[in-house]
Amino acid sequence: MRETILEASGITKRFAGVTAVNRLDLTIAAGEVHCLVGENGAGKSTMIKMISGQYVPDEGELRLFGKPVHFRGPLAARDAGISVIHQELQLIPQMTIAENIVLGRWPRRAGAVDFDKARSIAASILPTIGLEISVDTRVEELSTGQQQLVEIARALAFQSKLLILDEPTASLSNAEADRLMELVGELRRRNLGILYVSHRLEEVFELGDRVTVVRDGKRIGTEPIGALDQAKVVAMMVGDQRSLQVAKDRRPGATILKVDGLTRNGIFSDISLEVRRGEIVGLAGLIGAGRTDVARCLFGVEQPDAGRIEVDGKAVSIASPRAAIDLGFALVPEDRKTQGLILIGSVTDNLALSVHPKISHAGWISAKAEGELVAGYIRKLQIRAPSPNHAVETLSGGNQQKVVLARWLATGPRLMILDEPTRGVDVGAKAEIHRVIEELVREGLGVLLISSELPELMAMSDRVYVMRAGRIAAELVGPDINEEIIMKHAAGATQ
Amino acid sequence: MTVASESALARKGSGRVKGLISRLGLLLVIVLFMIIMSFLSPVFLTVANFKNLFIQSTILAVLALGQTYVIMTRGIDLSIGGTMALSSALCIGLVTYSGVPVPLALLIAVSVGAGVGFVNGFSVTKIGITPLIVTLATLSIARGATFVYTNGANITPVPDVIAAFGRGQLFGVPYSVILLVVLAVGCHAILTRSVFGRSVYATGGNELASRLAGIPTSRIIIITYVISGLMAAIAGLILTARLESAGPRAGVGIELTVIAACVIGGTSLFGGAGSIIGTLLGVALISLVSNAINLLGVPPAWDDLVKGLVIFIAAVVDVYRRKYARS
Repeated sequence: MRETILEASGITKRFAGVTAVNRLDLTIAAGEVHCLVGENGAGKSTMIKMISGQYVPDEGELRLFGKPVHFRGPLAARDAGISVIHQELQLIPQMTIAENIVLGRWPRRAGAVDFDKARSIAASILPTIGLEISVDTRVEELSTGQQQLVEIARALAFQSKLLILDEPTASLSNAEADRLMELVGELRRRNLGILYVSHRLEEVFELGDRVTVVRDGKRIGTEPIGALDQAKVVAMMVGDQRSLQVAKDRRPGATILKVDGLTRNGIFSDISLEVRRGEIVGLAGLIGAGRTDVARCLFGVEQPDAGRIEVDGKAVSIASPRAAIDLGFALVPEDRKTQGLILIGSVTDNLALSVHPKISHAGWISAKAEGELVAGYIRKLQIRAPSPNHAVETLSGGNQQKVVLARWLATGPRLMILDEPTRGVDVGAKAEIHRVIEELVREGLGVLLISSELPELMAMSDRVYVMRAGRIAAELVGPDINEEIIMKHAAGATQ
Repeated sequence: MTVASESALARKGSGRVKGLISRLGLLLVIVLFMIIMSFLSPVFLTVANFKNLFIQSTILAVLALGQTYVIMTRGIDLSIGGTMALSSALCIGLVTYSGVPVPLALLIAVSVGAGVGFVNGFSVTKIGITPLIVTLATLSIARGATFVYTNGANITPVPDVIAAFGRGQLFGVPYSVILLVVLAVGCHAILTRSVFGRSVYATGGNELASRLAGIPTSRIIIITYVISGLMAAIAGLILTARLESAGPRAGVGIELTVIAACVIGGTSLFGGAGSIIGTLLGVALISLVSNAINLLGVPPAWDDLVKGLVIFIAAVVDVYRRKYARS
């Protein structure tokens, strides 16, 4: 039996009453690649953050080489030998490779940074990670894959014993990903412990020694790779097939939106889809699959490099969000705090934001028209706010989201793009948001729904497109809309 | 000094009461200051001194009206002093040297102000230069152009109509003060009641969200700089009318005092919060401080030092007020 590096037992973390990680056990041995898999929101990130000292667990114990540890912060964990390579790289682009590798631990001589020493430290590590490049190269001149290697080099310079890789191949090209996998194999031979977090099941089966599957914050199982196949892992990830709650007796009408071969170079390509009146079309996929980018393109935030967008059978070009709104589009963005709301503004300010022309005469806002509009939507969506003049910042997540939704309903849209419409929203508000959407769809609204929450997506959608790595991998209807099939296409598992 | 502020949050948020208190707070400081001054200086509470005070602060106030719009969208306009000098010198120079009719010269002067503002706004939104750098450059360009145009000398005399405006009064109130009141009422109404005003609050509060909501944020930002440039031209003409001369040194360093007045008045440098009433109170406080230094026989050298301290305190208060509003 190999030496155990890290042992987590009964680790639990709650946020505002929601249990993100529930009594999770996990051990990582030296010379092992341990894969952690699960759907979006299963608790993987929270788990990583607890191991690496970013969060303090509410319950449970972490032991490093058999000794209990309580990290006061990420630096303490790093000093203890645990390094995390995040999805967003944490290098300083304007500095050289050598400077980045010794960052925060500068070798000194007579009080000044000893750059010669820094360069020799870096030069001794670069061959290990297979990067044949001058240590004086600035990081901003490197490709994403090379930058990631520099981060790994930094972890090695810190004498890390445990390396946590969080979706390391998400933004790499295939060649870069292959190279990274080789490096991970090499690090295993050097007896490091590696916790590998990935959605991509091919990688898990290529690299992993053991696999731990989490779902809803709980450990479903830990198995040696030999005891598993991809179908089994997917089944563990999605759990029991939940029954679809909504009887879909919708009768979609004429096509509102038809997208043909839409491409944004390097982000998504050849996207073709259709949304009809009175229909909810789901867009499924993993984080980073390009769903939000497609939505932003359709809403005129970014411009496509190729492809055709038709509205009511006529080709259109959508130059700005205003142009999209004029076509009858609405977009509920994925992050309401940075993209949806003027947080310091009032409920009224936020709700009336897109309908100023409707409530004004010659550029002057009619207080009466505005008040009536706002009061109407507060009633209709049961927005709970002390008054319409209250800052939206102080409302709960659910009520904030209802304000965003109300703003768009006020524009009288024909096509609504909902990007994670119920993320971070409590159960009651979620049900109300679903009810309102359902009602509008019955009146003829077309909806393009992006959601990482599969039960929501499955329950609401008439059709589902699954995106994977910037392309549409499948279009599903009827009984094919189930978690297993969606995940299979989204993660690219083969049967 | 917790007082000296008013945020959008306070204005309409976790209550109007809080907003009222903070606005009253600044007013209270001003009243207290005046009471103390009336004991310290026999001249303070005289009609002549107040008339002087109003005249002194008119230019500052006109500039601050425009600056409020710019700061609310997270911008800053340092160019106003240069714009003031350029537009007024051009106006008087065109009449005196080139024989251009006065109305046309006035029109050219305000157009130049608006033009500088447009260049500022365009550079910020379309080219993507930070407001600080753009307006620092246009400040230098505008003042430099004025030096070139005037050869570094003041231009006199000013046309009679303009001089008459500088001296004129209506029921004892100087024309320039009446003009300020009209401009202030207009700016206040636009900011609080118009679609454009709402868009200014929204753009400053969250530019991305505003753009996604269909607000033409670039256009809104450009217009705020144009307003600021227009106000600078008007302020320059008021100054010229009063001094009965136009020169390249008009308004040197005034931009910092103007920005300070806005911040003291509760316009947040973080954008999205502010009001015309707050800005006017900020102008009042700064003008009173200068007036006091003058009346109490403190050497003028102290002027900048004291003003600087007032600004520093107001900026600290701005930070803490935001933290307080969050919690």
